[in-house]
Formats: sequence, structure tokens, C-alpha cells
Amino acid sequence: MTTTDHQPADQAVTTPAPTGSPAPQPVIRVRDLRMSYGGAHVLHGIDLDIHRGEIVALLGPNGAGKTTTVEILEGFRQRSAGEVAVLGTDPARGDDAWRARIGLVLQSWRDHRRWQVAELLTHFATYYPQPRDPAELLALVGLTEQARQQVDRLSGGQRRRLDVALAIVGRPELLFLDEPTTGFDPEARRDFHDLVERLARDEGVTILLTTHDLAEAERLADRIAMLVNGRIRAHGTPSELARRAAAQAEVRWTAPDGTARRERTEDPSQLVWELHQETGGPVADLEVRRPTLEDTYLHMVHRDAGDGTGTTDASEAGASDGEKRAA
Amino acid sequence: MRGTDVTAGTDTTATTGTTEGAGTTRTTPPAGTTVPARPTAAAPGDTAAPHPRRRHWRAGVLRGGIELRHLLRNPKELSGHLVNVVVALVLAGYLSDKVPGTQVPMAHLTLSGFAAYLLFQIGLVNLPQILVTEREEGALLRLRATPGGIPAYLVAKSLLVVAMAFGTLVLLLGTAALLVDGPLPHGPGGWLTLLWVSVLGLLAVVPLGAAIGAVLPNPREALALIMLPVMTLLITSGAMFPLSALPEMVQKIASVFPLKWMAQGLRSALLPDAARAAEPAGSWELPTVALILTAWAVLGFLLAIPLLRRAARRESGSRLAERHRKASLSGGRGV
Repeated sequence: MTTTDHQPADQAVTTPAPTGSPAPQPVIRVRDLRMSYGGAHVLHGIDLDIHRGEIVALLGPNGAGKTTTVEILEGFRQRSAGEVAVLGTDPARGDDAWRARIGLVLQSWRDHRRWQVAELLTHFATYYPQPRDPAELLALVGLTEQARQQVDRLSGGQRRRLDVALAIVGRPELLFLDEPTTGFDPEARRDFHDLVERLARDEGVTILLTTHDLAEAERLADRIAMLVNGRIRAHGTPSELARRAAAQAEVRWTAPDGTARRERTEDPSQLVWELHQETGGPVADLEVRRPTLEDTYLHMVHRDAGDGTGTTDASEAGASDGEKRAA
Repeated sequence: MRGTDVTAGTDTTATTGTTEGAGTTRTTPPAGTTVPARPTAAAPGDTAAPHPRRRHWRAGVLRGGIELRHLLRNPKELSGHLVNVVVALVLAGYLSDKVPGTQVPMAHLTLSGFAAYLLFQIGLVNLPQILVTEREEGALLRLRATPGGIPAYLVAKSLLVVAMAFGTLVLLLGTAALLVDGPLPHGPGGWLTLLWVSVLGLLAVVPLGAAIGAVLPNPREALALIMLPVMTLLITSGAMFPLSALPEMVQKIASVFPLKWMAQGLRSALLPDAARAAEPAGSWELPTVALILTAWAVLGFLLAIPLLRRAARRESGSRLAERHRKASLSGGRGV
């Protein structure tokens, strides 16, 4: 029911399926999702489509509404308004059969401490109709050596990998990762990223990842949705977002009188050409800086911190998509 | 060495689990659910999976067994339970006088009272503590996110509570009979009374304990909040010494709560009939025991079902994180 009544307007704010894969029904489909607690509005109309096999990062600063969004999708929170379908079902009415198709990794889990790793995984396999083999799964997440270890003696990275194993033991089609690498050392983070990539590539699991770590989003995600103050401010592949950011490059140089100058421009090449003509020779300390994804992100976060109620976002999001389709 | 046999055990359960699953009930997914084709990775094996409800019961039973094994292998927690039994035995060994007006040793009355109190404690102290701790650690949330996880959890906890209660009673009465000439039921009637009073007593306190465990904030505060009323009831319910020694007002208040009736019922099972003389009513009042314990059981279920449902529904990652944050804050300040 949710897929048939596509309104033309929706097309403007959602991305097309990745090329080559016929995805008639997105794994996650969100339209105009709103959430308010008391009088406070936390989500101001989120639109999001996630297709089978995609890794999508929901990126945003703390308090942007990432957790609220994901908890609504997980069926743990009632939304105020809007339309949500996860695997074709409204999460608010998700039953056990629906639950069995979803896996969850939360950063705050520290349960079952007294259990042994293999014991816990074997036990959770019994809840699912077609579980994976626990021993194979331990090998997949790199915990074979820890199989007999007690859960509370695992390191942070090992614990999170066990959480992933527990989340995928029932062969879910969709996996939610909630800031999974918070507090990890670089090596643990890299191992975890490799694991997530393997899951998406080899197992075709669709993954929705929330993070406030831009590098993580860039490394893992096929698409990034930037959530700021309860709105999706930008939406696209990492390179698309970076290209959008490049619209405003910064040119720095030192003028003949010795003062440092900087100028933002849409066309840095033109500006540099003009500078050369003005000085009639080399331009001192010339530097052209194309903003990184990080700059775009910080720019959005800060601009939003100033005024919460911009109306530009819809057109912006539309524009980004327009670009994409044009390309 | 502790680890080796545990894993061996789970490995076997895993294998039997899958083979059982492949052979038994053949079912299609529940009618009415719109389950699209599963990804190819999941396809082989689509032929026979046990019925979901059966699977959940099985998971619950397995879980109960594992939790019991963990309890038995955890020296710290186990000694917490054993210390009660030891205290009861020591106390019984020192008591040498008789119940006033009878030839029944005072130790028998105290041991019967201890038996009732230990059942009471399992339901209203141990169970809420387990629930609050597992809520805080996220076990409840994980089970909520798992198909059939909450039913399995309830099955497991029921089994665990019954096993703890049975184990405690056997240990207390068995060692008391062997070491300090403790009381045992007289004849089949006495055993039967012991059985129904214990079962009804558990039913009176376990749902109530589950309800308490569903609302208490965190394990640290929980213990403080529970222990004061429990200790007050222990003293005022006539479990340790004859109720008639207490002011009438206190007796009346205590007789609202289940502990007095659990103790009285167990006394009727464990003490000779002559001991009735020391009861305030001059009799065991077994119909009243049954009535009041049933009333508490009904009340407990009425409270526990919505409260547990609410507790499970309210679990989410952010609430869990918030509780951890608060816990680390208060912990930091305390130290």
C-alpha cells in the first residue's frame, strides 16, 4: 500500500534506486516524518528512501534527531505524524515476523555479561526460523578465539562485533547500526568498518548507520543524509555532497602590498586568471581550496545553529537531487 | 576449566536444536503477514521451521536453564542465597526453648518462618533485582528486538524463580532436618500443604516482584527501596517468633501482607497440630491463607502485566544510554 501511492512531489526529495538494481519497493520509505515531545518539535518532516543493499549514513551532530528517527524506524518509538514503511510494514505495528527480518546494533548495549560468547550467540540463534551457524558467524566477526570467553571480558571493539553477530544471526535483511564505533581505537574502528562493508557486499544486507563521525560516513556509506535540527539538509553520495560543496571554493593569496587576501567564489579558475592578469605575473601564496565534505557539514550545522527555521532546505534538497538527475 | 564444559553443552544444544527444527512441525509463515521473498542467502531451509510459538517456548526453556547454570556457577551470587540458609541453621541450632504453651521446639517455628521468608525474598527481592539489572544492561531491549524474545524471557524467569524456590526449600529443610533436627511435614497431608502453600505463596509474590522490577529506577536504588519494607514485614509477620508477642495493631497491619500467611501456612505443614495453640486464632486458618494468597496473586498479575508491558515498550537505545549516563554521573559523584 505504501509503494503504490507515490506522489510526484515525493520524487523530488528522494533518490532513485542505485542503477542496475530493480528495486520496486524501498527497504525503508519515510515521508514527512514529524516528531514532537510536548511542544518541542524534534523532527520537521523527514523524507528518506533506502533501497536494498545500500549502506546509508544518517549523519548529524548530537541532538539533530538521528536517534529519534532511527528509533521510530526500529519500532521503539511512536511518531507524531508522517508515513513510515520499513520492509513494507509500519514499524509501529511490526510483529515478530517483521522483527526477525531486522537486526540492531546499539552502542549502549552491555547485557548478558555473564554469558560466554558462543553460548550467547547459539542461544539467540534459537529465536529465529533460519539462523546462521554460530561458529561461522564467530569467524565472520573475528571472535573465534573468544568463543569461550565471558562477554564482560571482551574489549569494546570485540563487544561491538559480538553485537553485530547477534544482530545478524537471524539473517536480517536490514541492519541498524547506532553510532557503532563510538569510543573505538583506530584499529578497532578499521576492523569494524571492514566487517560492515563485507556484510553489505557479500550478504546484501541493507544498512542504516547513524554517526556523528563524518569520516565514518564517508568511508562506509553509499549515500549520506545530513540531519540537522530535525531536517535532512543534504542528501546524496559522498562525492555528490562534496561536489555540491565545491560550488563555493576559497581562494587565498597575498596581495602585492603584502596583505593576506581571501575570497569565496563559484569559479576559482576565473578568479585566479583575473589575479594573474592584475599582478601581471605569479600570484604570491596562491591557494585554491575546494571545501571538503567536512566543510559543507560544519557549514550546515553552524548555519542551522543560527536560525532553526530556514525554508531553504526543501529547495536545497531538491536542488541536490536535481543536480544528480541532470548528471 | 569452567569454560570448557559450558561451551560443549551449548554446542550440543545447538545441534539438537537445528535437527529438531528440521524434522518437526512444518508451517508456512503466519497467515496475514506479508512476507516478501527472503533474500537468496536465507532461502535454503525455507522448507521446515518449527512453529514460532514453539520455538519461543523452547528458547525460554533453554534460557532458563542457562541462567540457572550461571547462577550456580557464580560463587558470589550463590553465596548470597546460601548465607540465608546458614543463618537459619545457626539460629535454629541456638534456640533451645519451646513455643510458648506447647512442646514444639522454637527452632521449628523459626525454620518454618525462614522457609516462608526465603520464598518471599525470591519473589520480592531477588526477582526485582534481576529485572532491574537486566533492564539497565539492555537485555530486555535486546529481547524486545528479538522475535519472541519477551515471551521467552518470561518463561525463563519463571523457571528460574521456581528452581530457586525449590532449591532453597530443599536445601533449608533438608539440611535443617539432618543437622539441627529441623521440622519436616507429618504424613502426606503435611507434604501436600507444604506444596500448595509454597506454590500459592510464590504466585502471590512473584508477579508482584515482577511489577516492582518493572518500575524501580536502577539496581542501586532498587535494593534500598525494597529492603526496608521487606525487613519490616519480616519482623512484624510472626515468621521468626510467635505473632502473639506483637502489639495487636502491628499484627493487623502485617496480616494484610502475604508473608504472615505464607509463614502460617508453612507452619501448618511443618509443625505438629499441637502448635496451633500458639497461633493468634488458635487454628491454622488454612482457608484464609488460601484466600489471601490468591488475592495477592490476582493483584500481582493485574499489576505486573501492564507494568511489564510498559517497561518493555519503553525500552529503547536512547533511554538506555540516558540511564547509563546518569548512573556514571551518580557513580562518579559517589566515589
